[in-house]
Amino acid sequence: MSDTTPLCPRCAHEAIEHITGSPVPGVWEVLQCGRCLYMWRTSEPARRIRRDAYPEEFMLTPEDIGTAPEVPAVPPLRRPGAGAATR
Amino acid sequence: MAYDDFRGFLDTLRKEGQLLHIADEVMPEPDIAAAANAAPRLGGHAPALYFDNVKGFTDARIALNVHGSWANHALALGLPKETGTKEQVEEFIRRWDTFPVAPEWRENPLWAENTLEGEDADIFRVLPLIRLNDGDGGFYIDKAAVVSKDPADPEHSGKQNVGIYRIEVKGRRALAIQPVPMHDIAQHLHTAEERGEDLPVAITLGNEPVISIVASTPMEYEQNEYELAGALRGAPAPLSRAPLTGLPVPWGSEVVIEGVIEGRKREIEGPFGEFTGHYSGGRNMPVIRIDRISYRTGPIFEHLYLGMPWTEVDYLIAANTCVPLYQQLRHDFPEVQAVNAMYTHGLVVIVSTKKRYGGFAKAVGMRVLTTPHGLGYAATVIVVDEDVDPFDLPQVMWALSTKMNPAGDLVQIPNLSVLELAPQAVTPGITDKLIIDATTPVAPDRRGTYGTQVRDLPETAEWLARLRKLTAAR
Repeated sequence: MSDTTPLCPRCAHEAIEHITGSPVPGVWEVLQCGRCLYMWRTSEPARRIRRDAYPEEFMLTPEDIGTAPEVPAVPPLRRPGAGAATR
Repeated sequence: MAYDDFRGFLDTLRKEGQLLHIADEVMPEPDIAAAANAAPRLGGHAPALYFDNVKGFTDARIALNVHGSWANHALALGLPKETGTKEQVEEFIRRWDTFPVAPEWRENPLWAENTLEGEDADIFRVLPLIRLNDGDGGFYIDKAAVVSKDPADPEHSGKQNVGIYRIEVKGRRALAIQPVPMHDIAQHLHTAEERGEDLPVAITLGNEPVISIVASTPMEYEQNEYELAGALRGAPAPLSRAPLTGLPVPWGSEVVIEGVIEGRKREIEGPFGEFTGHYSGGRNMPVIRIDRISYRTGPIFEHLYLGMPWTEVDYLIAANTCVPLYQQLRHDFPEVQAVNAMYTHGLVVIVSTKKRYGGFAKAVGMRVLTTPHGLGYAATVIVVDEDVDPFDLPQVMWALSTKMNPAGDLVQIPNLSVLELAPQAVTPGITDKLIIDATTPVAPDRRGTYGTQVRDLPETAEWLARLRKLTAAR
């Protein structure tokens, strides 16, 4: 089925990974984009799984991914031996 | 009555006519989320939904909208399903007075029946995951109680945390989690990351209904959620130790996922349709590695749809947001009568209070902003007189209509903290906040020309009871 979804619907990346398949063989697959990590099931409506039907407001660009904020921010490492009294 | 597991509560919902079994075959998407989106529109007695015929699955059981009406919320607390909203909040306050009630340790947890470890700990093998809203970045788990400890004080049971956070499935053994800085788990992660360590977590799904309520209650940092569960249940919460992490988890969970939040790692997450009724993301957020999954035979996946309010999440975080704010305000100001923080987890808070003297209502409003929950929420606080019921919105609108003069009753405080998901902030996490004083001025504040307020006739209460009886008998 992955040949019908050659592009990530969200960011148009071409490297798509097969994550799992339906317990009833051949009904659907779960796929994931290797770049934006979007994950979807191949049996979902076209608006969720096809690049040409995917809503513009949900699309992501490599720039969006590159500039995404860090939540929560990673704190500085505390020096070994620095006591809890500093907190 | 207290439920010891999720299935016991589903049985009660079924007997009370509050569980709708959908036997027809449905598509995993969009049917299940759309049904759960629609269910609360059925009103105050909307049922929970139960699906067990999902295309492509052989053995899926999915329950949604379990807390998604006032009737179901009442049954979760062991109250009659007809119990009114305000009465449920009042009962919640009464039971909180018995806090803390120590948990009970039990052997042979129900989730110990089956185990997947290491490379076999594939979440898709256990849960029939489904996607919710169109713009979501993937499959989410959004009603699990996540357990963690303070790495700097792991033996302090008060500093352990049980909370519901959004969790995105990022792979067979990989999840993402959103620790909002105002929430306790963010403090645990901060300490672990300062030390360069991972943070062990246990993610428990399919819990008895009071666990979901306490896990979404904004408690103080050193208050133990399980001890509140005991108070609300009227019986100690049954707990067991999770086998890999040793974390305390509910004895009756359907599924317990153990692993670690990988320290100092962030990865693209989201977006996700959030409780604010807006999508949030994509942001770089912490990642969880799954190391072990324990589960009951034939596990039921409890899931929650959230979208344009009100949906299930609004019922789940209604009463339990009002009560701690009420307790904390009463501690300083016994004049406070009631608190309604049911809207969007208390981004709006309505407080009714007596006035000690002129200006007092504004002080109560400012105190709301400095409560632990107020630091992340309470973008707007409306203060009303003691005879206005904050749960009766027409009365609140009357107070705004007649008691509020913008010249002296609007207090706007710039650049206060708010959770980053609040969409109105110009810079995420920072917003102005507003206190609206819709109380009648009292001396020495002599603004307005109020004269005397019309009050209910002394005989009205008696007639109300009589009319209720007469109309019920028709």
